[in-house]
Amino acid sequence: MSIIPTIGMETHVELKTNSKMFCRCHVLDTELPNESLCPTCLGLPGSLPVPNKKAIEFITLLALSTNCSITNDGMFHRKNYFYPDLPKNYQISQFDLPVGTEGSLEIVVDGEFGTVEIERVHMEEDTGKSTHIGSGRIDSATSTHLDFNRAGIPLVEVVTKPLIKSSKEAVAYIEELRQLVIDLDISEGKLEKGNLRFDANISVAHEGDKELGTKVEIKNMNSLKSLEKAIEYEISRQTKMLIAEENIIQETRHWDEKKEVTSSMRSKEGSADYRYFSDPDIPNMILSNDFVNEIKTIIPELPSQKRKMFIETGLSIEDANNLGKNKNWIGDLYLSITEITGDSKSSFNWVTGELQGQLRKLEIKDLPNWVTAKNLSEIILLVKEDKISFTSGKEILANLIEQEIVPEEFASENNLIQENNIEEISKIVEEVIENNSEVLERIANGEEKLIGFLVGQIIKISKGQVNPSVAKELLLKEISS
Amino acid sequence: MMNNYKLPISKINQLFKNKELKPSELYAETFERAAITESIIHGHLELFQEENLKKALNSDERYEKGENLGTLDGIPIAIKDNINISGYATTCSSKMLSNYISPYDATVITRLKNEGALFTGKTNLDEFAMGSSTENSAFGPTKNPWDSSRVPGGSSGGSAAVVSAGSAIASLGSDTGGSIRQPASFCGVVGFKPTYGTVSRFGLVAFASSLDQIGPITNHVEDARLIFNSMKGHDPRDATSLIESKAKQPKLKNAKIGIIKELMEDGISEDAKKEVHKVAKLLEAEGHEIIEVSLPLTKMSISIYYLIAPAECSANLSRFDGVRYGNRVPGSTSSEMMELTRANGFGPEVKKRILLGTYALSAGYYDAYYGQALKARAMMKKEFTDIYEDVDYLISPTTPSDPFKFGEKSDNQLEMYMSDLCTIPANLVGMPAISIPTGLSSQGLPLSVQIMSPSNTDNTLLDFSESLESLVAFTEEPVINGVVS
Amino acid sequence: MADKIDIKNVAKLASIKLNQEEEDRLKNDLSMIIEHFDALSKMDLPDDKISIHPLGMSLNLAEDIASKSLTHKEALSNAPESKDGQFVVPPSLD
Repeated sequence: MSIIPTIGMETHVELKTNSKMFCRCHVLDTELPNESLCPTCLGLPGSLPVPNKKAIEFITLLALSTNCSITNDGMFHRKNYFYPDLPKNYQISQFDLPVGTEGSLEIVVDGEFGTVEIERVHMEEDTGKSTHIGSGRIDSATSTHLDFNRAGIPLVEVVTKPLIKSSKEAVAYIEELRQLVIDLDISEGKLEKGNLRFDANISVAHEGDKELGTKVEIKNMNSLKSLEKAIEYEISRQTKMLIAEENIIQETRHWDEKKEVTSSMRSKEGSADYRYFSDPDIPNMILSNDFVNEIKTIIPELPSQKRKMFIETGLSIEDANNLGKNKNWIGDLYLSITEITGDSKSSFNWVTGELQGQLRKLEIKDLPNWVTAKNLSEIILLVKEDKISFTSGKEILANLIEQEIVPEEFASENNLIQENNIEEISKIVEEVIENNSEVLERIANGEEKLIGFLVGQIIKISKGQVNPSVAKELLLKEISS
Repeated sequence: MMNNYKLPISKINQLFKNKELKPSELYAETFERAAITESIIHGHLELFQEENLKKALNSDERYEKGENLGTLDGIPIAIKDNINISGYATTCSSKMLSNYISPYDATVITRLKNEGALFTGKTNLDEFAMGSSTENSAFGPTKNPWDSSRVPGGSSGGSAAVVSAGSAIASLGSDTGGSIRQPASFCGVVGFKPTYGTVSRFGLVAFASSLDQIGPITNHVEDARLIFNSMKGHDPRDATSLIESKAKQPKLKNAKIGIIKELMEDGISEDAKKEVHKVAKLLEAEGHEIIEVSLPLTKMSISIYYLIAPAECSANLSRFDGVRYGNRVPGSTSSEMMELTRANGFGPEVKKRILLGTYALSAGYYDAYYGQALKARAMMKKEFTDIYEDVDYLISPTTPSDPFKFGEKSDNQLEMYMSDLCTIPANLVGMPAISIPTGLSSQGLPLSVQIMSPSNTDNTLLDFSESLESLVAFTEEPVINGVVS
Repeated sequence: MADKIDIKNVAKLASIKLNQEEEDRLKNDLSMIIEHFDALSKMDLPDDKISIHPLGMSLNLAEDIASKSLTHKEALSNAPESKDGQFVVPPSLD
C-alpha cells in the first residue's frame, strides 16, 4: 500500500510600498540598522497603527488575480505572542476575515498544467530582524542583536490548501506565485532578498486514509532548491516513521542547509495559543464593491494569460511558461515578431536564445529603442529563407544592437548574402572538381571526409557567399554521376 | 475676590489682554501653590519649572505685542503622566517606565502647544491608568486636597487634585471607565469625557483602546469646553479618530432629562442620590422635564467592562518587555529577561488585569467571556440609542459615594471596581459625559452629578452643563490642611 | 471554581514570572472576578455581527506617502542595551 504525501505552502510576500503597513516610515533597503523607525513600528508607549491604503490595493490585486472571493467587511486581528523582534509582542494580522478566500492558481509542472487551491490571502506586518551572536549555532548564542527597520513592512500571507502532492508541484507553485507578484508589480519577488518567504506543512498517510497525517511545519528554506530538497527529505523521514509505526510529533522543524536535514526546533511543540481578538485600534475594513471593481480594472496581464497567448501562437506549455518568466517586453517582442515572421519556433529561439544571450553578454538590460520587432524579424526571415547563414544572422544582430542599421542592407554591403542560384553554384562546383582531381580520386577510394575540403574550396572561391548546404548537395550530385 | 488660579480661562485671557495680569505672574502663582501644596497632596510627579519660566516670558511678549496664539496662551495646564511629551519622562506611574524619556509629543500636546499653553508638569495616576484611587501608583499616592486621609479618586487622581489645589488652572486626564469623572467628583472639580473618537489617542499610553479618551479637568465648565475644542478633531495618526459628523443635537431649553433608575438603587449612598434630586428640582424650575428611565443592561456594566478592558490591556501592555526601553531585569535568555522585567516592573493591580485579560482571551474561554462581553456591549449601546429617542440628557450620580479613605477599598477588589458603576456606561457606549460638583456630603466632602448625552453632541452637552453649573452655584474650595488659599 | 484557572499557564502566556504567593493570591482573585461574570456568560445574546467600536466607525486608510520620524539616536535613546546601532537582548532561542 503506498504512502501519500500532502503538502501545504504558507508564503509571505513583501509588498513594495513606499511606507510601512501601519505607519509612514520609509520601506528602506539599507545596511544601517534602526534607521527607519517611528513610535508605531518601534512599539513605543502611546503609538497607534493606521493601515496603508496602497498595501490594501496590492493585496486586493493579488486576491483577485488568484480568483479569491473578497471579504467586503473584514477586520484586523491581534496575534499575541512574545518575541524580541516583535515590537508590540503582538502582530497585527487577520484571523477569520481575511481579504481573500477560496482561490486558485494555475501552475506548470513538467510541461503540464496543474492547479493549486488557495485557502486564504491575508494582510499582516513584518517583524524586525534578529541576529544571533555567538558561536554560530542558534542554541549557543551569547546574545541577540535586533534591527527594527523591517518591522511593520506590509506582508501578504498566502496559504494553500493542503492538496499539493509533490516537491515539484510545490516548487512550480512558488515560481508561479513569484511571477504573479512581479507581474502585478506589488513585490520585487526576489527570494535572495527575502521578498518572498515560504514554509511548508508536510504530512504523510496511507493511501485511502480518510484523514491526513500529523502535520509538520518546515522553516528556513531560502531557495527553490532547498525547498525541493527539504520537502523530499521530510517526506522520506515521515514515510520511514509511518512504516515503522512510530509516532510523528506535530512540531516545527528547521531545514539545515549544510547538513541537508530537517531538525527539531526546541520550543515549538503543539500549537500555540495566540488569543486572537479584533484589533480595537483599527475599525472594520470595508472593501466596497466599487473599490473591488476599480481594482479589477487595473489588473495587468497575468502569467496565465500570457501563457495562453503564447501557446496560441504555437509554443509548447513549457516554452510558453518560460517565456512568461522574462520581463514583459520580451514576451511582447516575441508576439510582434511571430506575427511578422509567422514562425513561432524560430522567433522564440531567436528572442530567448540569441537576442537575450547577446544582451546579457554586453550587460545591456533594456533593448535599445532602434531595435524593433520589424528589423529583428528581417534578420530572422533572411536566415529562414536561406538568404544568409545563421552565423551571419548572429553577426548582423550584434551590429544592430550596437547601432541603427537596416539588416538586409548591412548583409549585402558586407557580402553576407548567400548565393542560392543553382546555376551559379554549379559553375563553381565544376571549377573545383576540375582543379582537384587527386582529391576526387581519394574520395572515390573511400575518404569521404575530404568532401568537406572540397565544399570549403567552393565557399572560398565564392568568397563565402555560397549557401554551404546547396553547394554540398550539388557537389555530391556531380561526384556520384 | 477669587484667586487668579480659580478664575475661568476666558477671564484670565481678558486680564492678559488688558495687561492687568501677565502670564509669567500667573505661572508664578500656580508655582507658588505647588510649592505650598505638593508636599501634602503629591499631585505632580514632575514639575517643568525651568522650561516654563522661559515659556511664560515668551507668552508675556506675545500679549505685549497683541499677538497671543489663542485663548490658552500662557495658561498652565497639568498633564497626566500617561500622555507623552517629547523630551520628558512618561512613567505612567510605573516602575517599568521610571526611566523612560519620550521622543515624541502626543497629538493633544502638539495642539495645545500650538495655542501657547504651558505644561506645569506630569501628574500622578494609578499605574497604567488602572484603578479608582491613585493608590496603585508606584511612586506613592496622591492625597485628596479636601482631606488628606482620603483618596483623590483615580486613575487621574493627580490631575484632579492639582486643579482643586490651584497648582494648575486645568489639567488633562484620561478616562477609560470613569478615570476623569470620578476623581473630578472626589476633588470637587469639573471632569469631562468627550465622545469616543473626538480627541486623538495618539500619544496616550493605551489601557483599553476602545474605551480610552483624553479629556479636561477644570474649575469651570466653560474651561472644559475651551480645552476640548482646542484638542478635538480628526487626527490621521489615530485610525479611531472621527471625522466631524452631524448628529441630532439635544435641546438646550425645555429639555427632557432622564434619571437612570438602576444608578439610583443599591450601592449608591443617600448623599449621592440627594444631589441628583436636588439638581432635578433646579432643572424643573427652569422649565425642563424630569422623568425616570430604566436601562437594565447598566447592571451588567461592571462585568462587561472588566472583561473588555483587561482583555485589551493585556495586549496593549505586552510591549513592555525591557527590549527597546523600560527597566530591564537581566535574564539568561530573552524570554527569561522579559518575564522577570515584567514581574518586577508591574504592580499587583496591573498584573491582575493583564492575567484576567489573558485568561478571558485564551483558547476555550473566548466565547463565554470576551465574546459574550462584546455582544452585551453592542446591546447596551442599542439600549441607550433607544432611550435617547425619548430624552435629551441622562443624569446620575458620578460616583456611588463621597471620597473614601486610604486603604478602605484596597482589600476588596469587587468593591473597588463598583466605584465605576455610574461612569462605565459612557465608555462602553462611547457617549460624552461630564461630572459637575454640586454640593458637599454630610462629611463636608464634594459630591457631583453626571450628565450624559448622545454621541457627537459634546458642545451642546457642555452648553447645557454650563447653565446647570450656574444654577447649582457650587463655589466651595478645599482648605488644604490648614493652609489658607 | 479556583481549580479551573491554570494560573501557571496564564502567567506563561502573559510572560510574567509569578512567585508562589502571587500565584495563590491571583488564582483566588481571578476566580472571584470570573464568578462575578457568571450572570453575563449565561445570558442568551443574539449572534449579530460584532463591531468592537462603540460607534462602528469606518476606517480611513492612509496614503502611501513615506516620511522620516525618529532619528537613529532617538530610536535607541531608551535602549537598556545596544551595540553597533542594534538593540541587544539575551539570546532568544527560536
